[in-house]
Amino acid sequence: MLLADFGTSYCKLLETDSGEPPTLTPTRDLDRKSIKVDIATGHNGKRYATTYINELTALAKGGLSLIDEPSFTLLDCGSRDIKYVIYEDGKIKDMGWNAECGASMGFTIELLEKYYSIDFANLPIPKSSFSITCGVLGMSHIFDAVVSGESEAEAVAKFVKGIALNAYNFAKHPEKIYLSGGLCDNPLFVGSFPCSVVPLGRFVLLEGLQASSAPSAR
Amino acid sequence: MGKSKKLLFGIVGVPPLAVMAELAADGSTIVDLDEPQGKIDLETASPFLPRVYCGILRTVIANSLTIKPDVIYIDTGAGKCDCAVHTATVLEDILPQTTIIRTKNQDSTGFGTPLCKAKMDLVDKMSAITSGVQLITPDDDIQPCSPTAGFWGVPPRDFSLLSFFPDTTHIYGWARCMENKTPDNIEMECHYNPDIPTVFFAQSFCAKTALARHLANKHPYALYLDCDVTAGNSVKAKIQAFLELSGVKV
Repeated sequence: MLLADFGTSYCKLLETDSGEPPTLTPTRDLDRKSIKVDIATGHNGKRYATTYINELTALAKGGLSLIDEPSFTLLDCGSRDIKYVIYEDGKIKDMGWNAECGASMGFTIELLEKYYSIDFANLPIPKSSFSITCGVLGMSHIFDAVVSGESEAEAVAKFVKGIALNAYNFAKHPEKIYLSGGLCDNPLFVGSFPCSVVPLGRFVLLEGLQASSAPSAR
Repeated sequence: MGKSKKLLFGIVGVPPLAVMAELAADGSTIVDLDEPQGKIDLETASPFLPRVYCGILRTVIANSLTIKPDVIYIDTGAGKCDCAVHTATVLEDILPQTTIIRTKNQDSTGFGTPLCKAKMDLVDKMSAITSGVQLITPDDDIQPCSPTAGFWGVPPRDFSLLSFFPDTTHIYGWARCMENKTPDNIEMECHYNPDIPTVFFAQSFCAKTALARHLANKHPYALYLDCDVTAGNSVKAKIQAFLELSGVKV
């Protein structure tokens, strides 16, 4: 069975019968004319799938499958949006999906990384941050800071920390966050949260699709 | 009222029952200006109200400018909202040929809320409640069902977000006050059922977002939701996921 999480920037694919790990393909490289999968989630996923599961459901089911705790907060930071689910005593407590204000975070971070040739693995976590509500609006802070004499790297680091704090507040500022999405691989972003962070990687939604297809799904 | 021309009346909010009875007695044609009427472009309202404003009141302005009722009854009491007070002022200025009559509905005699508790498609149920504003006698011939989900809030600008709920969804909040014809009834508005998963909804940029979020925080199985003009994918996905993950059969 072929499962797919169609992200805005990257598509995650898993062939469950192959025994191979999931693969990551830039969404722009997808062969949109011929691709057909069995179960999909994500942006435009309905077009290419027999069965579609919405992102929040896939995220929640992925969390239930991967996290062995009855109460948890799982936050997914994608290219264009952020979403979270909160479970308490095994029951869904709250959820949110921000695709408007608070959007374009992952996309903007990747854009800045390339534009300024920044290696996030070697960037120290700044003490302060910019007050940021979304990736697009936050860009002006960077340009203002650079004009004021700050280094580009410092300014971008404050921007990334501001985005992390915004995502943390959006998820109702928990003591511990399970993090999903490509930003799990960004140490500056992960380290900027003012709480304990457990990165789960890019494939949490795929895990949720797999759990949905399994008869014994929790 | 002239006999040569049948007047067209517009209503905003829930005018007092005495007003609606008078209009009904005259056989007047009434347009609910809160609701989208045909394909009227919401941007018609933009020169007169900020775009970042209650979608329902922007709809009121767009409808009023296009339909041009002879008389508009607009409720500006606590049973509607402060934004309606200012919208009434705008209407007075931009529609000089229309008589704008401000009301403050303080009716306290309950009509009952059988629709809110009925087993019925939620879109149809909410439509029946909003069109029921024009009725002046209660409908008692509706049996209640056992609820499996709750919808708290006002009738949304975009009814499509109601299509994801099961027929056994009970309605709470201001929509329930609306059916009861007591729009200024904070006790009824604050009522919810803590035993069923409930979506607490308010229009974006509406003061009721505060109450919706406050009550959602108190409710053990709640989703707070706000939505502006139309329900996008994230709004629909939140409802679907919340109901599914709460074990509600749709």
